[in-house]
Amino acid sequence: MGFYLLSYLCIFVFILATAYRIYRQITLPIHVRWELYPVQHETAARAAYGGSYLEEVNWWEKTHKRSLFNELRYMLPEILFIRGLWKENRSLWRISFPFHFGLYLMIATSGLLVVHALVILGSDYPAAPGGTIKSLLDGLIVVTGWTGLVLGNIGSLGLLSKRWTEPELRNYSSFSDYFNILFIFLFFVSALAAAVFTDPLLVGAKAYAFGLLTGGLPLNGYAPGQSIAGGVAIVSASLLAAYIPLTHMSHMFMKYFLYHKVKWDDAQNRRGGRIEAAIMENLELKPTWRANHVDADGRKSWRDIASSAPKEK
Amino acid sequence: MKPSNLSKPSDCLCHIEPGELSPLPAPYEDFNQVTIPPLNPEKVKHLETSLDDTIAIGIPKPANKEEEEALVLRFLSGLKKLFEKENNWTFLQPLMLSMEHCAKCQTCSNACPVYEMSGRKDIYRPMFRAEVLRRIYKKYLKPGGKITAKLTGDIDLNWTTIARLAELSYRCTLCRRCATVCPIGVDNGLITHEIRKLFSQEMGIAPKELHDKGTVQHLRVGSSTGMNPLAAKDSVEFIQEEMEEITGYKVEIPWDVEGADILLIHNAGEMLAWPENVGAFATIFQAAGLSWTLSSEAVGYDAVNYGLWYDDVQFSRVAVRHADIARRLKVKKIVMGECGHAHKALTVIADRLLTGDLNLPRESAMVTLEEIVRSGKLQFDPLRNDFPVTLHDPCNMVRSMGIVEPQRRILRKIAPGFREMTPHGVENYCCGGGSGFAIMSGYNFAQWRNLVGSRKKFLQILNAFEGEPREAPKYVCAPCSNCKGAIRDIINYYHAEERSRLYYGGLVELIVNAMVDMKKPMIRFGDEPSWRS
Repeated sequence: MGFYLLSYLCIFVFILATAYRIYRQITLPIHVRWELYPVQHETAARAAYGGSYLEEVNWWEKTHKRSLFNELRYMLPEILFIRGLWKENRSLWRISFPFHFGLYLMIATSGLLVVHALVILGSDYPAAPGGTIKSLLDGLIVVTGWTGLVLGNIGSLGLLSKRWTEPELRNYSSFSDYFNILFIFLFFVSALAAAVFTDPLLVGAKAYAFGLLTGGLPLNGYAPGQSIAGGVAIVSASLLAAYIPLTHMSHMFMKYFLYHKVKWDDAQNRRGGRIEAAIMENLELKPTWRANHVDADGRKSWRDIASSAPKEK
Repeated sequence: MKPSNLSKPSDCLCHIEPGELSPLPAPYEDFNQVTIPPLNPEKVKHLETSLDDTIAIGIPKPANKEEEEALVLRFLSGLKKLFEKENNWTFLQPLMLSMEHCAKCQTCSNACPVYEMSGRKDIYRPMFRAEVLRRIYKKYLKPGGKITAKLTGDIDLNWTTIARLAELSYRCTLCRRCATVCPIGVDNGLITHEIRKLFSQEMGIAPKELHDKGTVQHLRVGSSTGMNPLAAKDSVEFIQEEMEEITGYKVEIPWDVEGADILLIHNAGEMLAWPENVGAFATIFQAAGLSWTLSSEAVGYDAVNYGLWYDDVQFSRVAVRHADIARRLKVKKIVMGECGHAHKALTVIADRLLTGDLNLPRESAMVTLEEIVRSGKLQFDPLRNDFPVTLHDPCNMVRSMGIVEPQRRILRKIAPGFREMTPHGVENYCCGGGSGFAIMSGYNFAQWRNLVGSRKKFLQILNAFEGEPREAPKYVCAPCSNCKGAIRDIINYYHAEERSRLYYGGLVELIVNAMVDMKKPMIRFGDEPSWRS
């Protein structure tokens, strides 16, 4: 039961930390525009060369056409295959791609394990269900699981080696940078060892996911920690889930904000609109910058200061 | 070189030896052994000079230990304010996101022309100064930071660290090429911008060209050039006379026309350094029959907003003045002349500052000009521009605003010898004059700019004209005053007019040069007219 309790706790931390990160972002004040082109939700013709609606005469009189399709067409290869790195830093991509794709496949495998557990729960547990869906799930879990583990091991070892051996990475790396990769590698290598030596069909993983959903009900006589490698894999995966949102590795999901709330945020401020209302709130904030020319005293608002001249020296 | 080295004592943290800069091709090999001339020890003996071979700000050394400690505390107080919404609502979210998610993969370094051209000196990596700020922030402002710094990256904070960091924030042109290539979306250029703000808004430290002679003079006198309204009107009167002399076309430049469709705002530097640009705009607008005006009110005849580069407060003051002048003139829209940073400042950044009737429509001159050229109101003879032309993309106009094609569509129509640089558009390289560098020339900073900052652009220009005969005049079209200034300086520094017959100018000059109504050419290559009547 200790394994399950650890996993529950880590999932709880994951949810809490992720929710906090997202909450913090959505409650920040609206900022000035700082977009960078190409902005991928532009029309296909403009997105191709990085153009914007500002290329149109009297653009404020027109409806700004946006394309979700263009955005998805860009984002999917970016997320799945890390296209930007492929284009700009190919040598790093060769190891970063297997690393990230390995992690994605682990997430996909986790999803499949949950579906698998739900299928069992929907049948006559404890009798093992059969049928096409179950067979399909069994096959998919093996394929995604094994592929993810192999890629993840290659990627994390590669990243570790590159960070250690290349001065331009090593000189900027701290203990935590190595620790993060080692931590992920520990999961990949222990899970792969468990699969190779004791559980090639990932029966233990399926049983553990079932146990997680049912508060520890056994499946096929499995108990967590039967093999050392399997136990390490469970513990490291659980701890990783809790750890990732506490670190810069949260870029896995925070990338949404980096792109949609900054890099591609080209929303216009229209009179009487939501953005204008938010700006007016900001203009009432009272800065305390101390340089003479700012002339802030904690009582004057941004509006007061912006409409005044710089203080004489 | 590690980020922690920034706080370690040394006379010069980074020195560029002869031969270390990226090589230039023939006939410029003689510059390959040239390096930045040493600072005059007498002139800088009271200044902090220990970062590299140049200085941009010229920060006085503290008189004693107490002063040093007070400055360190003031720096920390400013750093804290960068993360408070009351003080930094303008950039809080972008800053937090970029501070927290860098994976230190160095992809940004390969995109940075300063880093590449310097011979890949570590301190010029986009993430070097960002990483310094991250470490200071985590160690000195986060709870338990002094303990966790051993695990997440340590750095000592002392006066040397701070003085070098201030200088280092002026070794980046804020072109944001690094941010476009970051796979995560981190913007280390933005962090440089925020470092500059911290020093200016909290400590009153900024290059005099940007602050005292820049925004302060702009707001007090009327223009960062020092021209008051009377001088501006005198200059424009002179331009009117000159234009008739140059092209044989009489032009009247309107002032303060209430209710005009367009308020055109130039970078006032054009009136002094490139008056023909102001004249060419007037010629085109008049010939096209537009309703337009200039403003003679202080600040209203100078589109620049240097605050964009270093100080949100000064930025806001200038932007509000621009908008208020347009509001009182009751114009339908503001058109920004050929000035890249002014484009971005008033059109994009100020969009989340101006409210109510200050939020007037703003448009790029590239767009207005394209509309005129395509309208058929003007007749062109493209053969008058029958010489090699390449286009420089101002970062602020292109990468930061997405105004990419209008200027190209114009050039394709009026300049048969137009060819692109490689790369171009949103992937362009900065001219080296970005973020104020074009107007900063104290001590030996201009040499650093010409040798390091603008070197990539110089190589790009040479490549664009590869295969053209040396004796053929070549035109670099740079529709931005600061970019023009930087390109002018590299042409002069490398003797490129003599060696490659390189000339430069704006877009409007090319348009007027091709107008059939002109009796004489607008563009001359030295003494040689670009076409004969």
